[in-house]
Amino acid sequence: MDEKPLIIIENLKKYYPVRKGIRELFNTKKEFVKAVDDISLTISRGEILGLAGESGSGKTTTGEIIVRLQEKTSGEIVLDGHPIDDSSREGRKRFRREVQMIFQDPYETLNPRSTVFETIAEPLKIHGWKDKEKIYRRVWEALEIEELKPPEQYLFSYPHELSGGQRQRVAIARGIVLEPKFLVADEPVSMLDVSIRADILNLLKGLRRDMGLTMLYVSHDLSTIKYICDRIAVMYLGKIVELGPVNKVLSKPMHPYTKVLFSAVPVADPDHVKERIVIDDEVPDQINLPVGCRFIPRCPYVKDQCSSCTHELFEYAPGQFSACIYREENLTVNDDRIIDEP
Amino acid sequence: MAFLEVKNLEITYTIGSGSLKAVDGVSFSLEKGQSLGVVGESGCGKTTIAKGLMQLLPKNGSITGGSIKIDGKEMVGLSREAMRRMRLKEIAMISQSAMNALNPVYTIGDQLVEGIMAHSSLGRKEALRRAVEVFEMVGLEEKRLKSYPHQLSGGMKQRAVIALALTLNPPLIIADEPTTALDVVVQDRILHRILKIQKEINSSMIFITHDISVVSEICEYIMVMYGGKVMEMAKTDDFFRHPYHPYSLGLQNAFPIITEEMEELISIPGSPPNLQNVLPGCRFQERCPFAEQRCRDEEPGFAEPEPGLLTACHFPERVEEFREKAAHRDTWETVRKRLIEEMKEGAAHG
Repeated sequence: MDEKPLIIIENLKKYYPVRKGIRELFNTKKEFVKAVDDISLTISRGEILGLAGESGSGKTTTGEIIVRLQEKTSGEIVLDGHPIDDSSREGRKRFRREVQMIFQDPYETLNPRSTVFETIAEPLKIHGWKDKEKIYRRVWEALEIEELKPPEQYLFSYPHELSGGQRQRVAIARGIVLEPKFLVADEPVSMLDVSIRADILNLLKGLRRDMGLTMLYVSHDLSTIKYICDRIAVMYLGKIVELGPVNKVLSKPMHPYTKVLFSAVPVADPDHVKERIVIDDEVPDQINLPVGCRFIPRCPYVKDQCSSCTHELFEYAPGQFSACIYREENLTVNDDRIIDEP
Repeated sequence: MAFLEVKNLEITYTIGSGSLKAVDGVSFSLEKGQSLGVVGESGCGKTTIAKGLMQLLPKNGSITGGSIKIDGKEMVGLSREAMRRMRLKEIAMISQSAMNALNPVYTIGDQLVEGIMAHSSLGRKEALRRAVEVFEMVGLEEKRLKSYPHQLSGGMKQRAVIALALTLNPPLIIADEPTTALDVVVQDRILHRILKIQKEINSSMIFITHDISVVSEICEYIMVMYGGKVMEMAKTDDFFRHPYHPYSLGLQNAFPIITEEMEELISIPGSPPNLQNVLPGCRFQERCPFAEQRCRDEEPGFAEPEPGLLTACHFPERVEEFREKAAHRDTWETVRKRLIEEMKEGAAHG
């Protein structure tokens, strides 16, 4: 992974204007929800980067901007040397071939009137494949990669004949049939039963191993991120608060928010003694952000200097960055913030 | 006799001209103050049990056998009116989708007060006082009583639903995936709040979820269901330390644990059985790597290899061997290959 990163994201911003109805006429000051606020990231070739955070953190928006389902407000995203908003015909086509997305709900992403074959063959046809024999063979291959075996059993099935796990495999097969370079997976297993989740996760891991696929794995579930990702970026209110190798971040989180998030994950181990950090669980105001660190209103370790925080990432340990102005060992619980409850 | 006694409960849905038993001979009991986690995949019958206990089954579903006794009183066969009076006061449900459990055109306070007045002898003033109390219990400010559901966040709505369910200190609480749609930080707070209230009013709780790690954190007992039947039932700690049933072993392999270094997750190949066409023998036979002829011929009863631990497997004495083998991917791969072969054969004959 020493060569140039596949994806470089620089100062990415996405602001949504807030509509205030009639008041807009009298108040010229525009307000925005800063869904993604100045984030920079790189993803190396063959790397799986996990993007974590709660609802409203901007993780899904980031994923959608990378696949151009949404337009960015400002910033730069470069994929393999080409800016993704290259609007030449050739540039657009290359982008559509190289970047694919898998969504959360396998019940809604497949066209109910298309067979599995039609669904997977469609991208091939759009990208100029004409030879029917070749298309058939490629679809067959994709089904085999997806462990939808024997493929002849599935080729002419409709989505309603398939289970949730099988549908998600079809959706992934459609995503990889053009051999993309980059895949964005937004909560791809959260709708699936536990016993089949592992299959999909292993499949994604296998795609990286066998095809060298680079991935952005967007999820709120830290346990699956830990299992599948190399690095993790934790987002809070549009900012990246912590970034680093998954094993480090999830064994020794540095940013207070990551610590809180980690402590809230239920653990299926009766012998595990957990340090519970209880904080205010209300979703913060996304329009009137606090001065300085955005986690101030909920942070159990807050101090006076936190209002000077600029969310700059500090490399406190090799490869592990935190946006907190304090090192982890200097964090002390602020007594005013202790919530007295089990 | 235990506070809640469920015996051989059968719940049947009619579908078209056929029917299926979504819950098939389930028995368990629960003392006051105890909590039981019910886990399993979609379609295993866990939510149907919840709806059956509340007698809020959909039109095509009905209790076709068995008995449900609360505090010695038989619930099956009660009139609709009698059952309506039981709800909220004796048995209350915290449902999955807080978004849909609240009426959008009434304030939360009105809905609470209405519920309290309909199910108790309290007057409006006392009902309102009670509403303020439960709001405090679930951690909502009093002024939120005047809010409409759309003015609350997901977490607040879920707490309002909990408040609604707990207003009359019901001795039996049924929680059906109460935190599934919430963020982990919110989930953590809400789970512990439910737990605290349940202990305070000494209710029995049935907690239904697909997430076994949640059960590990908040329930004393666990019941694993598969295809409408109970596969294993045990004290939660015993279950997580040493499960017996092959299905439980498979579930544990498939579940990522954040505090542990995981080598590899292994899924259980195949999919849950078709309950409209039930095979004789064990429900798990098709996906079980240890299935033998006996499993296809004869349905296993419960064995009690350890005090208080029940497993519906013919071979509880081979558990050491099962645990050892179940930890290897190859063991489950053979099942996958077998299922693929069977599909091919099926296609060739069909």
